[in-house]
Parts: sequence; structure tokens; C-alpha cells
Amino acid sequence: MERRGHLILCVDDEVVGLRVRKILLERAGYNVLTAPDGESGLVLFASEPVAAVVLDYAMPGMHGGEVAKQMRDAKPDVPILLLSAYVGLPDEVSSLVDVYMTKGEGAPALLSKLGNLLSSNDTSHPRAGDAQL
Amino acid sequence: MVLPVVACLTLAAILVWQIRNATSTVSLIETSDRRIALATRVELLTVDEETGLRGYQTTGDSRFLEPYRHAQMQLQQAISEMRAPGNGPPMDLGDFLVQHDAWRRGFAEPVISMVRAGGQTTDIELNLQGKAAMDRMRGDLNAIIQASEGRRSERINLWHQQTRDLRLAVATLALAIGLLIAWFTRDQLHAVSAAFQRALNREKQRSQELFESEQNLRTTLVSIGDGVITCDTSGRVQMMNPVAEGLTGWTESEARNRPLNEVFSIVNETTRQTVESPVAKVQRLGRVVGLANHTVLLRRDKSEIAIDDSGAPIRNESGELIGIVMVFRDVTVERRTHAALLANERLAVAGRLAATIAHEIHNPLDSVANLLYLLQHDPRPEDQSHFLELAQSELARVTQISRAMLGLYRESHAPIPINLKETIEEVLLLLEGRVHALDIQLTSELPPDVVVEGFPGELRQVFTNLITNAIEAAGKGGSVRVCVTPHYKEASNSGAPPVEGALIEIIDSGPGIAPDVRERLFQPFVTTKGEQGTGLGLWVSQGIVRKLGGSLDLVANSDGPGTTARVFLASKPVLNPGGD
Repeated sequence: MERRGHLILCVDDEVVGLRVRKILLERAGYNVLTAPDGESGLVLFASEPVAAVVLDYAMPGMHGGEVAKQMRDAKPDVPILLLSAYVGLPDEVSSLVDVYMTKGEGAPALLSKLGNLLSSNDTSHPRAGDAQL
Repeated sequence: MVLPVVACLTLAAILVWQIRNATSTVSLIETSDRRIALATRVELLTVDEETGLRGYQTTGDSRFLEPYRHAQMQLQQAISEMRAPGNGPPMDLGDFLVQHDAWRRGFAEPVISMVRAGGQTTDIELNLQGKAAMDRMRGDLNAIIQASEGRRSERINLWHQQTRDLRLAVATLALAIGLLIAWFTRDQLHAVSAAFQRALNREKQRSQELFESEQNLRTTLVSIGDGVITCDTSGRVQMMNPVAEGLTGWTESEARNRPLNEVFSIVNETTRQTVESPVAKVQRLGRVVGLANHTVLLRRDKSEIAIDDSGAPIRNESGELIGIVMVFRDVTVERRTHAALLANERLAVAGRLAATIAHEIHNPLDSVANLLYLLQHDPRPEDQSHFLELAQSELARVTQISRAMLGLYRESHAPIPINLKETIEEVLLLLEGRVHALDIQLTSELPPDVVVEGFPGELRQVFTNLITNAIEAAGKGGSVRVCVTPHYKEASNSGAPPVEGALIEIIDSGPGIAPDVRERLFQPFVTTKGEQGTGLGLWVSQGIVRKLGGSLDLVANSDGPGTTARVFLASKPVLNPGGD
């Protein structure tokens, strides 16, 4: 199933990984904004109607946990999916985000989890102008 | 001292005076005697005169006048003698002379003339006159004699008195002097005794102080937490403190006078060869010495402990060597702790590396997975070559990283030649992600043929630590430069040739480190990274470098802000830098 039109914000310091992920999500029907670090990600998050965030944990400067916290403070309704190369993050981080997954799980897992996040959000928080599925 | 002398002189003076008095009294007595004798003689002479006269009167023979004339002559003599000075005050003859003269002129001469003329001189009246005159004369003489005798008695009495006085004076003075001398001597004896007592007390006090000081030192020595052994110059044990007894397994009394190596047997931990005893070393070098590293003490019960020690010469006041003192302690626990800390740090490093690995490998693999998914589910012709290219480069990255990782943990037992350029480039590859993320300008000058001997894993650990520090110090937008140059380092002993090796410099553009912090950073558990740092990285790195006979220093940059980590590694490292 394809979701159309949702704006996804991807934050990751890995250049190649970010680019490939953007292609993947766009082919899946999303609009994608990218940011290479926490600060620029927060700027985009504040100024754009982001429907969901795909957030990397391990970043220099602000790591994913701090970014998630600030995002929660700003727009607590926006679902956050935390991607990490690490296993076993501290509880305070995993409680901040809606979904947590590792990068090794593969593209299908990412797409399905993201879809679930957005659909549950759609049903519980209807947004104006969104296509109903 | 003066007093007895004065007293004796006084006594002598008094005696002399008394004797002179007595002597003068005696001479006076003699004078009296002479006068009495003289007066008696005069009397006898007058008797002779009278007898002579009478005889002439009776016989009319002029032969009977001889005694008279003779006596007259002698009388003159005697009288002039009586008058002579030198016999004391002149005798009072006054009356006698007048009387005698009167008798002579009035009676004697006329009678003689009469008899010569043939007259008669039997006239009683005449003779009575003559007799009366004679009696008067006799009376005068007797008076004179008596007076003289009286004076003589007086003088004798005086002499007796004087001798008595003398005896008394002598006795008294002798007694006084005796007492004086006795008192004086007693006084002197007291003084001597007091001085002696004081000297004795001083000696006692001094010896007490000495004893206490010795006790203090002994207690201090006994309380020292390290083992202390002293030896004489021939290396025989003189003294051991309780800690030394415990560590060696010998008691002091058993060990005394034994050669040191019997009691303190040290070998190298690995080679098991006997280590030069500190006594021999001190005797050879004449200064404070330390033991080589990795020394183990073989105790009496054959168990072993790792020790650290130092020896020092004991010199007397003239600077001659009179013994050697050695201080040592059990560092087994310390070594274990050190080893544990090292192991811990390795684990921590391993942990961080594991995280890095995960990150560095998962990311590319994740991209490859995504690309393959896309190629599978949504193939578009324009994607194919592009996606495959991307996937390939990501996989190449993974391979490189994993190769570097494997290299990190392949430890060798002996140092092997390491190409610095290759090793550092591998480390830089590992840290590439962070360099990009922080937008760091990384430059390197790595000549291709600089080779040093060492342990690859350890050296990678050092470079990783130092370059990571540099990256973190430089921060976002900063710069890090890594340079390798061949280098000759001055040897520590003058006269030895410089050591050939390489200098590796890692220069960051960060805020720099304050000088006092810079020193402490090499100590374990000191970090400037707050909770993120374990504080062991520099300590471990320095340990690794030093073990290879190299050096690691942090210096401030001269041409701008930031710090340079400067590592010197010898081409052919000396592996045991603790020996002399």
C-alpha cells in the first residue's frame, strides 16, 4: 500500500545512507525532507508540516535522543521513528520515541513500521487535507 | 690558694718577731749578767784595795800595796768598761765613784803617805771613817748589784713570758691555719665534687638524649611502611626492619651478617636471571639507584612477590662509603591493579570500538540493503547502474573497516616492523565518519617508507586515541593535521649516539590545554571530557609508547591555538627501559 503526500523528515549524519533512504521513501510515495544533523533537522521540523520523523540516533553534536526530546517539546503529536546502528538504548530515549528500530532490519521493516505509525496517527488524529485510506 | 700562703707568712712573721723579742730579752739578760759580774768584780777589787791597804797599814811593807795598786788599775779598767756604750744604758755609778774617790783621797792615800812617812795609822776614828766610807761603797755596789739582779730577774721572767706567748701564738696560729687549710681544702673538694657531679649529670643527660633520639629513629625505622635493609660495604646485612622481615621471610637476627643475596634474592620476572643486587649497583655507581623493572623477590619459603626498590649509599662525615641502605616494597597488588586498569581500558576501548564498528558497518550495510530492495521491488533502468555503483562503494567501505578492525586485535609477541603510513591511514579511515560529521579539515603528511618496530594493535590504539582527541578538540569546522617525519632523538646518557626513529605529530586547532592540566592528563582517571571520557586513554597510550622506549608529549602549538601530540618511536626499540 502506498501512502501519498505525507511529509517525512529524515535526519542522519551518514550522507550516503540519507540519500538512499530518501530515494526509498520517495519511491514508496512520501515526500521527503532531509537534514544532516540535529540542528538543521529541528529548524525544518519547526517550519514544515512534517507528518513523521525518521531519526538517526548516533550523530555527533546532538544525538538522536536530544533531538527527539526537543521535537516532543515542540510538536508532541508528530510520530518519531528512531533508527540506530546500536542495540539497547537507554530507557529515557526509547520512551521518547514511538518506534525504535535498528538499521540492519531492512527496507520492508522500515516501510511497514512507518506506515503503521502514520495510519494510527491518521485515525487518531485526523489532519485536514490528508487523503483518507 | 693565696690564703694558706698568707696565713703561713703571717705565722712566720709573728714567730720571727717573737723570737727577736726573746733574743733581745736574752741579750738584755746577758747584759745584766755582765753588769752583775762587773759590779761583783769591782766589789772584789775594792776588797782587794782595802786588804792591801790594811796589810800596808799593818806591816808598813810596800809589798802589801801591790794588790792595792793592782786593784786600782783594774778598777779603772772596770769602771771604763762599765761606762762603755754597747752594754745598754750606762750604769748608774754615780754615788759609788764619788764615794770611792772620797775614800781614796780622804783615807787611802793619806794613810799610805802616813805609813810611808813612818807615822802611825791606828787611829780608830780614822779607820772608822775609812770603814764607813768602805761600807758606803760596798752598800752602793750592793745596790747596783741588786738592782742589776732585780732587772735580771725581771728580764728572765719576761723571757719566760715571751716564750710562753710564743708557744701560745704558735699553737693558736697553727690551729687557725690548720682550720683554714682544712676549710679551704673542703671548699675546694666541694667545688671539685660539684663540678664532677655536674659533668656527670651532663653526661647522663646527653646519653639520655642520645638514647631517646636513637629510640625515635628506631621507632621511625620500624614504622616505615616499606622494607628497609642496611648492609655494610662488603654487602653483609646489618639491619632489617619488620616490613623487610615480612617480605623476605628472614628475621633480622637470622639475617644479620649474611651476604645480601642470600636474604634478598631477586630475579627477572620473565628471564628468571639474577638481577644485579642494589648493593653492588650502589658500590659501582656511588649514588642512589633504582631497580630494573619486572623484578621479583624470591622469599625464603620460595614464594615470589613483585617488588620495586631503591638503594642509596650511607656515607660518614668525611664522605666515605660505610654502608648501603635499601628500601623496597611489594608492588604485586599495584601491578595487578595496573594490569586491571589496562585491561579495563582495553575493554572500554574495545567497547567504544565495537560501537564504532557497529556504526561504521551497519550504516553502509543498511544502505546496501535499501538499494537492493529498491532494485528488487521498483526496478527502473536509470537506477540500475547508479544503485549498483552506490552499493559497491558502500560494501568496499565495509570491507576496509572490517580489515582495519581485524588488524587491531592481531597481537604479536615480538615487535614487528610497522609501516606508519599504512597504520595511520587505517586509523584515519576508521575515524572518517567523525571527521566528516564535524566538518574537520584533515591533512596528513605520511612519507611512505617510515617504518618502526612495535606491536601493531597497540600502536593503532595509541593513534586512535590521539587522533580522536585531536578531532574532539578541534571541534566543528576545525582542523587536524597528522605528520610523520624520520627523527633522531638525543640519548639520555651524554656520549651515547642519538636514537634513530620517527616523530609522529598530531596537531589540532582546538582551544589548547592549560599547562598544569596537560601534565595531569597523563595520569589515570584524569579527563577533560566530563562523563564521556574514562581518563585512561592518554595514560595507556603513554604506557604503550614508553614500553617501546619512545616518548609521548603534549605541547601547545607555537603558530596558533591548539595542541600537538608528539610521539617519538624508535626504529629499533629498546624494550626494557628500567635498567641502568
